[in-house]
Amino acid sequence: MNTAAQQSISADNLAKQSSAHGAVLERLRGMLPAASVITDAAGLRPYETDGLTAIREMPWVVVLPETEAQVAEIVRCCAEHGVPIIPRGAGTGLSGGARPHQQGVVLGLSKMSAILEIDPENRIAKVQPGVRNLAITQAAQTHGLYYAPDPSSQIACSIGGNVAENAGGVHCLKYGLTVNNVLGARVVMASGEIVELGGVLYDNPGPDLLALICGSEGMLGIVTQVTVALLPEPETKAVLLAAFSEVVQAGNAVAAIISAGIIPAGMEMMDKMAVQAAEAFAKAGYPLDAEAILIIELDGAAAELATLNTQVTDILRAYGAYQIDEAHDATQQARLWKGRKSAFPAIGRLSPDYLCMDGTIPRKALPKVLTEIDTISQTFGLAVANVFHAADGNLHPLVLFDANVPGQTDHAMAMGAKILEACVAAGGTVTGEHGVGVEKLDTMCVQFSSEELQQFFRLKAAVDPTELLNPGKGIPTLTRCGELGGMHVHKGRLPFPELERF
Amino acid sequence: MSADYSAGFIEQIKAAAAHQQRLQIKGHGSKAEWLPLASGDDLLELSSHNGILQYEPEELVLTARSGTSLADIDAVLGERQQMIACEPPQLSPGNVSQANGNDALGSGTLGGAVACGLSGPGRPWLGAIRDAVLGVELINGEGEYLKFGGKVMKNVAGYDVSRLQAGAWGALGIMSVISLRVQPCFALERTLSAEMSAPRALALCATLGVRNLPITGTAWIEGQLHLRLAGNDSGVAAACVALAEFGLQVNADDEDLWRLLKNQNHGFFQKAAQRQSGAAKLWRLVTPSAAAMPNFLSDPNSDALVLWAGGLRWIYHDDAQAVADYCRQVGGWYWAIGEAMPIDPMQQQIMAHLAKAFDPHGVFASPLNLNAAAGEA
Repeated sequence: MNTAAQQSISADNLAKQSSAHGAVLERLRGMLPAASVITDAAGLRPYETDGLTAIREMPWVVVLPETEAQVAEIVRCCAEHGVPIIPRGAGTGLSGGARPHQQGVVLGLSKMSAILEIDPENRIAKVQPGVRNLAITQAAQTHGLYYAPDPSSQIACSIGGNVAENAGGVHCLKYGLTVNNVLGARVVMASGEIVELGGVLYDNPGPDLLALICGSEGMLGIVTQVTVALLPEPETKAVLLAAFSEVVQAGNAVAAIISAGIIPAGMEMMDKMAVQAAEAFAKAGYPLDAEAILIIELDGAAAELATLNTQVTDILRAYGAYQIDEAHDATQQARLWKGRKSAFPAIGRLSPDYLCMDGTIPRKALPKVLTEIDTISQTFGLAVANVFHAADGNLHPLVLFDANVPGQTDHAMAMGAKILEACVAAGGTVTGEHGVGVEKLDTMCVQFSSEELQQFFRLKAAVDPTELLNPGKGIPTLTRCGELGGMHVHKGRLPFPELERF
Repeated sequence: MSADYSAGFIEQIKAAAAHQQRLQIKGHGSKAEWLPLASGDDLLELSSHNGILQYEPEELVLTARSGTSLADIDAVLGERQQMIACEPPQLSPGNVSQANGNDALGSGTLGGAVACGLSGPGRPWLGAIRDAVLGVELINGEGEYLKFGGKVMKNVAGYDVSRLQAGAWGALGIMSVISLRVQPCFALERTLSAEMSAPRALALCATLGVRNLPITGTAWIEGQLHLRLAGNDSGVAAACVALAEFGLQVNADDEDLWRLLKNQNHGFFQKAAQRQSGAAKLWRLVTPSAAAMPNFLSDPNSDALVLWAGGLRWIYHDDAQAVADYCRQVGGWYWAIGEAMPIDPMQQQIMAHLAKAFDPHGVFASPLNLNAAAGEA
């Protein structure tokens, strides 16, 4: 049996659908302007993949609604005819969560991109799902406010997608993830009904449905409006760069800073390979001889910051930093951050392709996990550069490979899966902020028992009995896990080479 | 005193499922008077299932059995100058009403804090209990032992079943073990106070809210606005100077104010016990911060307590319709302590379906009555 098909929609639904496509298309064209119902190959092409470009599939049709009522009508129409719906934000997701379905409708929310309200009195913004993450901060700036979560794709990614993935960023330890910064959402459920969760309020009665929607990858409902909390912009910021001759020293310094009761706004670690690639690309002034560097951002009121800065610098010295640079003005700070923020494209120049992993581990496990990654890297014969959100334990090992070498893509993916297994074994998780999508379905089998997976499926069925919302994503079927069960890749050879592998 | 009773719970739940019995979940029973309890055939007693399993200050994570008392957790965290940031209330039994012999065992468990989803006076600045939850080990209505989330800050593997438990009052199962994110205590806390009316206090809170000040609590009560500042010494000192222009002065007499408000030992709450039955009820109103004060209070100075920069308002009032109308008008929700919590019907339906997905036999007698609704559906 083909696992990919199992993970796809049920045969029953498929049969229902083939006869229904004509009727669905007619209704979609009746409710939307002609340009918002895309069926031609050239128009569909941009939607065949998201940020996980290794996975492509042409959708049957793409629709671009402009109102919540249209979203609800599309959902009702698809539900009546058993057609899968793949919600899509800006398409920047890194785990294939917006991978199209060849029999399904891609419901793109890019045209719902209005900022409905900035309310400085209540320190909130109400926005449509297609609004870009950074656009919220830009709109709030006139009031001295900003929206805290800043995933690296914030110029392009949409707030609806951020909610679907529970997006993070570099400031999570202090300011939280998307789930901690969203106060309300309007959601079109699988039935086409609209439910309003939360609002401008600091708590709501009953099980926390808003938290459940965050990170549900478009499988429980389609978010049509989001209310986010805004924060006052920090009065001052300081950015420090510390260089270490051993990775362990850097890891210990991170633990010591947190033990001292300090929560930096951001604390990033890069290993030697990442530092060298970033420096060659961005000329940020990183020390090329360092085995690891830390970039630490502190923020707060001016008086508070002066004390913090001294405390952190003292700790860094005590834990063996041999060089500490401080960026005082915005230009210098941007330069120090530029190296870190361009780490991925910088690695892209070193290697024809790379695979970005997204494990999270307890901070203390970092030296151990880095050693294991090194061993895995040697076993597989592929290089790894490590970029680490040290403050919150989110590790992004970048596996370097060449997709033009036959078999190397699979080899790299198998190696990535091994790295994630090491993260789980260290007490961590297979995805910190990128989501499961289709990419990590197999590694989910490592993290969860069959009872836990079944509970996820019952939860899904309770909220989406049609099982048409983003089918086949997020949670692996038991069959799939069974077939992969005990699968440990030896020398890069997969036991089921005929299966589609993500 | 630390012991693992989860195997016994699994047996008890499986037996109840087999015999169509309902189990009432009980921790310390400190919130037993907050909602009408759904009746059960038997009790699921969680308070003996206690003990801190793992605490690593440098990881900012604490893992404990759900029956562990909040007081014990506070003591252990306090030794390392850490805290549960959202300040879950530790309620002294009987302070809401002293009616019918309360048999509370203590001032609250970790499991009870998460299940009830209540947060202390710092909610807008320090987060809610749902923000602190990193992972739970849950026993569902089939008696299956399931692990969700984990011990790390960032985790998007699978649906967020852990945070879903916050506010569920046990409708989706019993939490056996909970991992929480903890936070360093602030080096210094100061309370500033000034006399002013409630509308003036709300306006000032809104003004200060967009400024970068180390505020971690506001309370308007008895004609006074109190602000809590917290941070390092120099940051708090600078803020005290900045706030003097609003007439806010350091108030050394009210050191205990925030603890009293958090645990509802403040005189304002004591009045509930003193009032005769049939008199004004105690209402908990969650409103947009900037919403105007209700105009039906005859004496706001004695009948209202405004927290969360305006987002939480406790009032005494006897006209339920007036309270309901006010909340509808400002876009908030209300709850008369001791009565059922009103839930939007559409959401109630989703919650009932979820309850059925976790507890198909309706074993858990949750006071939200979701399971009963699921059974009837």
